[in-house]
Amino acid sequence: MKLQTQYNKISIASTILVLLIAGAGYYFLLQYVLKDQLDETLRVEQVEIQDFIQTNHSLPPATTYKDQRIEFKKSGKALPQSFRTLMLYNADEKENELSRQLDFTVEVNGQYYIASVTKSQEATEEIIGVILLITLGLIILLSMLLFFANRFVVKRLWQPFQTTLSSIKNFDLNAPSAIKTEKTTIHEFNELNENISMMTEKVVRDYLALKQFIDHASHEMQTPLAVVNSKLDMLIQDPTLNEKNLQDVQVIYDAVDKMSKLSQSLLLLARIENNQFSEKQEVDICVITKNIIQELDEWISERSLTISNKIGELKANMNPQLANTLISNLIINAIKHSNKQERIILRSDKNVFTISNPGTSALDGDRIFNRFWKSEYSDGTGLGLAIAKQICGHYEFLLQYEFREGIHHFSIRF
Amino acid sequence: MKLLIIEDEKELAASIASYLKNENYTCEVASNFKQAIDKIETTDYECIALDITLPDGSGMQLLKELKNNKKSEGVIIISAKNSIDDRINGLRLGADDYLVKPFHLSELAARINAIIRRKMYNGNNIIRFNEIFIDTLAKEVTVKKELIELTRKEYELLLYFLSNQRRVISKNALISHLWSQEMGTGESADIIYTHIKNLRKKLSEKGCGDYIRSLYGMGYKLTDQ
Repeated sequence: MKLQTQYNKISIASTILVLLIAGAGYYFLLQYVLKDQLDETLRVEQVEIQDFIQTNHSLPPATTYKDQRIEFKKSGKALPQSFRTLMLYNADEKENELSRQLDFTVEVNGQYYIASVTKSQEATEEIIGVILLITLGLIILLSMLLFFANRFVVKRLWQPFQTTLSSIKNFDLNAPSAIKTEKTTIHEFNELNENISMMTEKVVRDYLALKQFIDHASHEMQTPLAVVNSKLDMLIQDPTLNEKNLQDVQVIYDAVDKMSKLSQSLLLLARIENNQFSEKQEVDICVITKNIIQELDEWISERSLTISNKIGELKANMNPQLANTLISNLIINAIKHSNKQERIILRSDKNVFTISNPGTSALDGDRIFNRFWKSEYSDGTGLGLAIAKQICGHYEFLLQYEFREGIHHFSIRF
Repeated sequence: MKLLIIEDEKELAASIASYLKNENYTCEVASNFKQAIDKIETTDYECIALDITLPDGSGMQLLKELKNNKKSEGVIIISAKNSIDDRINGLRLGADDYLVKPFHLSELAARINAIIRRKMYNGNNIIRFNEIFIDTLAKEVTVKKELIELTRKEYELLLYFLSNQRRVISKNALISHLWSQEMGTGESADIIYTHIKNLRKKLSEKGCGDYIRSLYGMGYKLTDQ
């Protein structure tokens, strides 16, 4: 759930709850105050009646005037005064109305009367009703206001955060650009932005240092390897070496070759990552494929493989050297992992290049493009496919592996 | 003929000098920029093998000096750097060839021979080993004045052997000389063996002596001893 939705939910629910409780409290308080005021009016009437009796020594006339009624009833004894609420029939309105009545005892010429002063409570109820309506209206208005405020104001408040977030999402270590942040007065966001900027700068610096290290290490390895090779070249001139010695020398030669190839491959990977192959042009994959197959012709016939090249019109916009490396790595991979007399098929369909060769079981599709991943009977560097993947990633081509009906398929969508 | 090796790695320089030294060549070694400048100013060399990363200066600077002094030496750069840009820079500054470390001494020898042939005889040169003659301009091989039809790979092999006469050439050196892309030494060895077998057959058919010796399959040698 979005932070904003969560916040909206809590704030609106709590607002409504508070307003409802306040409304109810307000209702009861109002009712109490208004009743008190009504009682006060009734008491004023009582005093007026008592004054009238004291002056005139007779009962005032019983009246019914609008919402007020005064009645007298003979009584044998004096009763204490009392307030009560009751329903009375209003002849004018022709309906029962909630009323407030004060009963008290008066004495006229030794005779007790119970005087009843009654006032309709209807007006009070109406006021309460109106007030409640206004309160309800306020609740709705306030909730709506809160909702829109949260929706727009809060969204605006979070804008710097969103900017930072999308900048982080688009951050690419291979093409690092500074994290874009929005200037804001909000302390937390500023702190976040500062820390992210510091962190990315450090990551970029470390990453560059690492790449440079690979670059230097690979270069520095070449000269010692050259020394080893040259000493071996001199050593084999010695006519006293026997077969065993020469076999050992062969092993050293092969190890030096492999090490040299490893460091060259690592260098190539580092260079692609460093964007050192910026030169781009339209390359003809069809021609490149033909040339590579021709170059590898001796290995193909040595293994009695059949290569069926059905690559048609296929162009890609990339560095020609990398195009050559990409296609030859895939073809060499297929040749190396084919058994004698098998058939390798190269096909193109619109902008998709596919190379297929028979196999016994599917390879681990998640790991075959990893650096130094090798099948158990491979004698290569384990970098060929990783380089192919890196080249495709560099140009945003899609390199995929599939295993269908006993055939490995590697495809590139240019 | 004099060769100069400018290389700060002393052991490598020593190996190169000792391999290249023969009846025709004498070798001198300079292990830094200053020594190299001194030697270039006082002596004329036929060819210079130049490492471009020197402790006290850049080999590229040396190349510029050579050009400014209108020296006619051939120059082959030997470098740990393998990028196209480095190659283009070196060749643009007047180097004749560019060899990436690690390399085989036989490869360096073959390339130095090629540079000297181009420089001294305008490429019109015949290399000879006993009755075998190679015209490197026409790319023709004759034995006892009879032309031998060779495939491209067989021709390259024979030329490589003639550039490294009486030296043992490792199988790995032959493989990296013949193919820029290669597939692992196991099968390459078989292919090399087939090429050499065919080459020997074609040579002996024209009555040429059998000069190519195999050292248990790990190396080959063109020799008449």
